[in-house]
Amino acid sequence: MNTAQAGTLESMDCLVTVSEAASGTGVKIQITGSSAARFKSAMEKKVSEVIASMGVKDIEISIQDNGALDIVLGARVEAAVKRLMGGER
Amino acid sequence: MRRTMLYLPGNNPNMLTRGYLFGPDGLILDLEDAVAMAEKDTARILVQHFLKQGEFGKCEVTVRINGVDTEYWKDDLAAVVPFPVLQGVRAPKVDDANTVKIIDEELSMIEDKHGIPVGRTKIFCLLETAKGIWNAYDIASASPRVAAIIPGGEDLTADLKTSRSSEGTELDWARRMLVFAARAAGVDPIDTVFPRVTDDAGLRKETEFIKQLGFEGKSVIHPNQIPIIHDVFNPTEKEIEKALKIVAAAKEAAERGQGAVSVDGRMVDIPVVKRAEHTLVKAGLLEVK
Repeated sequence: MNTAQAGTLESMDCLVTVSEAASGTGVKIQITGSSAARFKSAMEKKVSEVIASMGVKDIEISIQDNGALDIVLGARVEAAVKRLMGGER
Repeated sequence: MRRTMLYLPGNNPNMLTRGYLFGPDGLILDLEDAVAMAEKDTARILVQHFLKQGEFGKCEVTVRINGVDTEYWKDDLAAVVPFPVLQGVRAPKVDDANTVKIIDEELSMIEDKHGIPVGRTKIFCLLETAKGIWNAYDIASASPRVAAIIPGGEDLTADLKTSRSSEGTELDWARRMLVFAARAAGVDPIDTVFPRVTDDAGLRKETEFIKQLGFEGKSVIHPNQIPIIHDVFNPTEKEIEKALKIVAAAKEAAERGQGAVSVDGRMVDIPVVKRAEHTLVKAGLLEVK
């Protein structure tokens, strides 16, 4: 199974790991880390938006958060997915 | 005003978020030396998201792209130029006028494609080689986009086959040459960074020196350097008071149809009035003409 990563565990950043998923699996999001308990639903919403805007339907996403703002979360997810798709290196 | 332009590593969310809060006049979101080769893609995307949604206060926002001798620079420009918040790009290792023209053409193409007025994106040229310094005037006047020229520090010293000293002897001539070239071409001369981030006294001394040479400001690598540089560049109360007097007297004389003015018993001519106006611009009391 292909996987890709983007981001770091530095303060205000997050480490995003994405894996290919079989067709029909949908988007599976797992979030752990400092803000996960309080902001999980907002973070999931942001991640879903980015994934949808990239036209990806089936994917598994794991996020280790260390206080990333929305902007950072979106950028790291986009970067990880682009790496997975091999479109940008 | 470009007293301070603060470098922010392009792959560092913390600095990209907080950079403007330190109150520099300008920000440089860095895609070049501050970013590891393996992270060029993620930094570009992160900077893109910040240009789209980030907060930058009143700072002039620029991005340092990778050099035209790399595989990254065109993608860098394509990623950042479309965002209205971006005011310019800082181009590294500009050796001659041709480098400016290559970047100029690429910028025009991207601006045209995105319906942005062609020429909006300024170019800040880093002159980091002996050749670049030698060609300083040609570079500064190569395109109306050029807003400033900046001497290199470390790279230039290496190219000169010497090392950096605390007195900055090795950069002395390059700095003087750069001020002449910039002023002759009508662009801003901005100084290189001061690398010893804990040496406040050294920073103050160097800033006083480059201000005296004619520089408009300095590149900054640590937020703690900002207040010191601003303090050196800000006019003193006495300078402001004198400048206000000169400008008022010149205005009054112009209204009376007189050319020459006398302030405190001294004749004041046009260059003195211009300098006084420049002081007031720096003090935030006069709009840039």
